[in-house]
Amino acid sequence: MTIAASTELICFLILGAVVVLGSIGVVLLTNIVYSAFLLGGVFMAVAGLYLLLNASFVAAAQVLVYVGAVNVLILFAIMLVNKKEELKPIKGLQLRKILSGAICLGLLSLLIRVDFTTPWNLPGPKAIGEDATERIGEHLFTDYLLPFELASVLLLMAMIGAIVLARRDVLIQDLDTEKAIDLPIIENGKEPLLIDKTSP
Amino acid sequence: MPETGALFLTNQSMTAPGELLGLALNAGAILPEGIILLAMLGTLLVDLAGQKAAAKWAPPICYIGLGTSLCLLALQWNGPLEPSFLGAFLADNLAVAFRAVIALSTLISLLISWRYAEQSGSPVGEYAAILLAATLGAMLLCGSTDLISVFVSLETLSVASYLLAGYMKRDARSSEAALKYLLVGSAAAAVFLYGASLLYGISGSTNLQEIGVALLTSPTPLAALALVFVLSTVAFKIAAVPFHQWTPDVYEGSPTPVVAFLSVGSKAAGFALAVRLLVGCFGAFDNQWKLLFTVLAVLSMTLGNVVALAQTSMKRMLAYSSIGQAGFVMIGLVCGTEDGYAAMVLYMAAYLFMNLGAFACIILFTIRTGSDRISDYAGLYQKDPLITLGLSLCLLSLGGIPPMLGFFGKIYLFFAGWADQQYLLVVVGLVTSVISIYYYISVIKMMVVKEPHEASEVVKAYPSIQWKTIGMQPLRAALVTCVLVTAVGGILSSPLFQWANSAVAGTPLLQEAIALTGERALG
Repeated sequence: MTIAASTELICFLILGAVVVLGSIGVVLLTNIVYSAFLLGGVFMAVAGLYLLLNASFVAAAQVLVYVGAVNVLILFAIMLVNKKEELKPIKGLQLRKILSGAICLGLLSLLIRVDFTTPWNLPGPKAIGEDATERIGEHLFTDYLLPFELASVLLLMAMIGAIVLARRDVLIQDLDTEKAIDLPIIENGKEPLLIDKTSP
Repeated sequence: MPETGALFLTNQSMTAPGELLGLALNAGAILPEGIILLAMLGTLLVDLAGQKAAAKWAPPICYIGLGTSLCLLALQWNGPLEPSFLGAFLADNLAVAFRAVIALSTLISLLISWRYAEQSGSPVGEYAAILLAATLGAMLLCGSTDLISVFVSLETLSVASYLLAGYMKRDARSSEAALKYLLVGSAAAAVFLYGASLLYGISGSTNLQEIGVALLTSPTPLAALALVFVLSTVAFKIAAVPFHQWTPDVYEGSPTPVVAFLSVGSKAAGFALAVRLLVGCFGAFDNQWKLLFTVLAVLSMTLGNVVALAQTSMKRMLAYSSIGQAGFVMIGLVCGTEDGYAAMVLYMAAYLFMNLGAFACIILFTIRTGSDRISDYAGLYQKDPLITLGLSLCLLSLGGIPPMLGFFGKIYLFFAGWADQQYLLVVVGLVTSVISIYYYISVIKMMVVKEPHEASEVVKAYPSIQWKTIGMQPLRAALVTCVLVTAVGGILSSPLFQWANSAVAGTPLLQEAIALTGERALG
């Protein structure tokens, strides 16, 4: 084994361990701040895996988007919602945990089994390294033009929707009749519909 | 066998630089969507001028946009079949038919929502814009032939649906519905991405047709896993049991016009996606996905129709009935014959009118009384004959009572299923249809049979009928149109049958699948 190959293997093992242990920690730790920071670590390690695969553009995008934006946003959300609240204990939580754990383990073993029985296209397409950025740009403006343009509509609509949902003011006057909004649609909504009060 | 696997590496990632730039885009295929995008931007712009301007100008902009889009779709019918955007989109007849159903469902949902939105104090301009964005995503989803465009258009539809579900901010149930829909929907999207990444790993391409070819030549166990992942997303979108848990809560909490759109437009997009992915891509796993869909269809028909019996809220009842209706439509998909696909398209179109007609009636009732309870409809025929007549006709049609449109749709589905020897599905469908007739009729009985003194408090205090307020006229127009088509469409349904048949005939994807099934049946 050459030095290059063994260095790559060692890097892969370290990054893989960080990803696996980090994500287990994200799920199992009870302090949400630790979970958020561990998640950042996992994202960084995934970016490292991309670098090992010679996909530097994807690695940079991963760091910018996930660590730079998503993870920071999560931390901000935690900071803003700093409220201690005693949650009601859920009945049969232990049983649920065991059940979901069993399902996840079953899925994992299925994936591992399929992984070993599938004839993969090895060694796969050759990485084009530094040309990747140029090639991605070319694809974005040719065969992936439609999803690329649609993504802008998606982002515009998500932005408008977020503003609409976060905005405090709601209309209190009917535009047409100038009366105060008559609330029966909403007021009646407060009471549970499943209990039928009118029946004897 | 890694050597054979290497052959399937398509040249998509290996093309010489600049080669792709010389090819034609055929962007005209998405002109209808472009018009809808313009209408969406138009509503956003008039919204800047304030609430009053938006309430005045947003409706006509939406009507013009959707109307033009429908006309353009009609022009695309039987058009030349050239893949546009280098294989990301294909406007075959099936796509045109489903896009028309979606655009029409948005148009009717908008017609019935103006008054409701104003009365609940929600801003109208942004509401229309988000609904149009959802339509855009759903329409593009129908014609997408590439995993990436499928995913992006699916997300456009889903994110817009989450926002619409949470649009009534003052109602806690609306926020709850949005949050539930968001969480379950994101999980479904993640599962879809996982399945799509497996498909890309097997075939080396994101084009559905190329993936289909790769799966045919080397079916691996991994592909079966990808099938399950992709299928669960499809089942989530069409709310098939056991992926239906979100449906009743979301339908109950969301504003009613949004529910109307979700139950028709979003579901139609889900079925188009199912055809594209399962028929177009998983042809090699024909037996497997048909078996899975049979199970889903039986469960949906049974659970949807049985649980609907116990509901006391009108919206919740329609939510469960829509789960059952999706089960009926799945029969056509499982058949995989010419008649099966045509019956599926026909029933989707019939379902559009009868379900939206029923929603128009219950929205009108909610606007006038503020109630959603089935027991509050008691004795309504005395006070409001229009709602009583319209709702009765639409519910009878949903149940499949003879002269209505729904009967012919259902009989065609069952006929196609019986001809393809899907006896289990047809028998379950017939039995659950009878169950569904029971709960539809009990609503009608509640409205019609009760004596005046037995009428509910709400009906006794019924306001005088007037149509002068802004938004009431469109609501009435939509209601009357839907009810008319439902009632008369059954007798004059032969153009609809022809339309559904030529939708299937003009779709090479379906023709290939039908030919394949035919060969297998002979061999």
